[in-house]
Amino acid sequence: MRRLPFTVIGGFLGAGKTTLLNRLLRGAGGRRFAVLVNDFGAVDIDSRLVIAHGGETISLANGCICCSIGDSLVMALVRVLEKADAIDHVVVEASGVADPARIAELAMIEPMLERDGVVVLADASSVRDRAADRYVGDTVQRQLDGADLLILNKADLVTAAQSADITAWLQGRTAGVRVVPAIHAEVPVEALFGLAPTDGTDTRVHAEAAQPPPIRRWSLTTNGLVNRAALLEALGALPTSVLRAKGILRFADSPHQRSVVHMVGRRIDVRSDGPWGIAALRSDLVLLGTPDMLDDTELDRRFAAALTPGAQ
Amino acid sequence: MPSTVIYPARRIITMNAHEPFATHVAVRDGRVLGVGSLAELEGWGPYDLDRRFESLVLMPGFVEGHSHAFEGGVWSFPYVGFFDRRSPDGAISQGLTSIDAVVARLREIERSMTTADGPLLAWGFDPIYFGGRRMNRADLDKVSVERPVLVIHSNFHVLNVNSPVLAKAGIDHATNVHGIVKDDAGQPTGELQEIAAKYMAYRASGINLAAALSDEAAVWRFARVAQLSGVTTATDLHNELPDSTVTGYLQASAREDFPIRLLPAFGAIALPVEEGVAKLQALVQRNNERLRFGLVKIITDGSIQGLSARMRWPGYYNGLPNGVWNTGPEEIDRLLQAYHDAGFQVHIHTNGDEASEVALDAIERALTRTPRRDHRHTLQHCQMADAAQFRRMAALGACVNLFANHLFYWGDIHYAQTLGPERANRMDACGTALRTGVPFAIHCDAPVTPIGPLFTAWCAVNRRTASGRTLGEAEKISVADALRAVTLGAAYTLKLDHEIGSIEVGKRADFTVLHDDPLEVAPQALKDVRVWGTVLGGRIFEAPAG
Repeated sequence: MRRLPFTVIGGFLGAGKTTLLNRLLRGAGGRRFAVLVNDFGAVDIDSRLVIAHGGETISLANGCICCSIGDSLVMALVRVLEKADAIDHVVVEASGVADPARIAELAMIEPMLERDGVVVLADASSVRDRAADRYVGDTVQRQLDGADLLILNKADLVTAAQSADITAWLQGRTAGVRVVPAIHAEVPVEALFGLAPTDGTDTRVHAEAAQPPPIRRWSLTTNGLVNRAALLEALGALPTSVLRAKGILRFADSPHQRSVVHMVGRRIDVRSDGPWGIAALRSDLVLLGTPDMLDDTELDRRFAAALTPGAQ
Repeated sequence: MPSTVIYPARRIITMNAHEPFATHVAVRDGRVLGVGSLAELEGWGPYDLDRRFESLVLMPGFVEGHSHAFEGGVWSFPYVGFFDRRSPDGAISQGLTSIDAVVARLREIERSMTTADGPLLAWGFDPIYFGGRRMNRADLDKVSVERPVLVIHSNFHVLNVNSPVLAKAGIDHATNVHGIVKDDAGQPTGELQEIAAKYMAYRASGINLAAALSDEAAVWRFARVAQLSGVTTATDLHNELPDSTVTGYLQASAREDFPIRLLPAFGAIALPVEEGVAKLQALVQRNNERLRFGLVKIITDGSIQGLSARMRWPGYYNGLPNGVWNTGPEEIDRLLQAYHDAGFQVHIHTNGDEASEVALDAIERALTRTPRRDHRHTLQHCQMADAAQFRRMAALGACVNLFANHLFYWGDIHYAQTLGPERANRMDACGTALRTGVPFAIHCDAPVTPIGPLFTAWCAVNRRTASGRTLGEAEKISVADALRAVTLGAAYTLKLDHEIGSIEVGKRADFTVLHDDPLEVAPQALKDVRVWGTVLGGRIFEAPAG
């Protein structure tokens, strides 16, 4: 069964969630996102792109749909999954006080979904005050702690020194968390949602593309068997400049099964995806990262051990 | 000449200070023409004398200030709670006092189901009364190993399911999800909590669940359950009010035999404020005698027993972390200000004392920006407020509606686990409300607890928990004060005290008719006072013998 990647966007009121989602709906890059939002009124889409506007759903020419959560996220999600065939990726906007990591867990009890990332936005100019606030401090801290990827938004409102200071503070709170600085929530779509599926059916209308900062990519392909432990160790040891990894792998310990490895920020998931069937017996791994990601030689070196199946 | 009917009664408790008790009430055009002696009322001209209440006691119709029409929705599914509960048809659904009894009841229902694989949903289960034993999937597998079986707990936040539901969702020992309870061996027990529970309920039973919970039939069932307990006015205190629901409410309330006045509160979070205000302004134009739009609801925190209430220092007695905001403080401010500025009355759900503090701060700020007399914004539940917070309510002109039924159903848990003795003893502080002069009501929050104002009044008077402990002598109130809280007190918190809540000239002829006199029975027996039926706008609704 095809599983839809499930991403939750969290962050406190004013962190930039709506800006990010508006950006996503405009520049989806051919991917059909179903975006569940709290405040329909805040969604800002060029009316020429809207092909249908129902009570709870807006359908866009680029294949995306935007759905209102209303007062029940659960009901909104159940409704969206009825249209699963027309969707590539489900994105939920957590409310400003919700714990996005909890919402992401829905993917683990819904066979149609695959947990992707928990992306939390933080307003660089206010996140530390918020995290110390008498009423909402614990809420904000819970959100930050649950993030796989943190977007330090409104980076233009602080100095470089302050930004470095906040980044260090965020990484000190949550070991291994990736912090991506951004202005006006401008982040590469691939960094948040991974590479688009390459099924060659991309004939949809593309909206104006935003110009986010570039993203670096490294990949590995092998016809040999892969050492599971060595690969997971190499992934776990990657610096925070590597934002995501996705691999379909043939592990030496289970050569007859396709294994799917999925890394979003600091979180790594591995699952067995059944027998290979007619697919080529080949392992592929792709890393995506910020421009300062390790160079290819260094990455090749780090993953060399994984290509030596060893005595398994 | 409009017809006048004079009803003699054994006693009429009026809630009207000028004439607290009377023997006769005259009704004309659905309203109270007068109350007093027959001689005093005869001056109004020709009348019919209707003696059907001669041996009965009349009170102002009970007003339930915090209930949910969802109560009518859940009755489309079988009830499996610990306590007896009256269903919309008037029959008593027997309480089930062991897990085996719940299983046996479910097996009976399962065998009578006509579809082969449709889900079996039941509600009202409460695990706290079985001496620590929890229901597990083996129990529900005895009901069926093919059909999905789901038992929703009385708090509506927890669910027990059987193995087929777990298998279909792919939940096993490897599923590490908050809210999926596991046994010592690491296997899921079938108990699901919070968002996992909610999701599974909808997923296993489909969209039909939502429809069954909110269709027009559901609102009729709600009205009937309310009416059977003596209620003549009830709130549906949180509703997104989609068009389908509005239509159902308009259709139901258009019928003269619809037995209650229904007050839906619009859930402020459902729409951007400008749209919400406009929607509500339009809905108010469609009000009729039995349907009143205009209330607004804001939900701030969760529940105390669910450990999701926002508490001030020192937090939960069992040391667990503070609860969660459903709506954060800034958002509360923004929503309250918008509806306050538009002239609406806002009901604010606050269970924990930190949530109450934030709500009071928001009311104070709204009033500073936009002074407004007689707003009557009301804190709902407000279970943990201390005396200082009550004094602030009084100073700000706020009202409070206290969750008295909690004392009985969860008082023991609050005493031992969530609040600890000191705060459990002062929870739902009716005595403090009275002493500080805060206008107050008491409520049931149906379907969380059954609707029944006499039981709710009994809770406020006796403050007795399910195990028999008394919580806080100083917060007890008299029977007379409790009866006022479920009539005129509640009417005041809904801005309807000029129209209902007491029996006096000019008001609606809404009465609760009782077999026994609640002021004469022992206070401990208040909950056992029998309800004969109700009168709504002069129309008589006799309850079937229960």
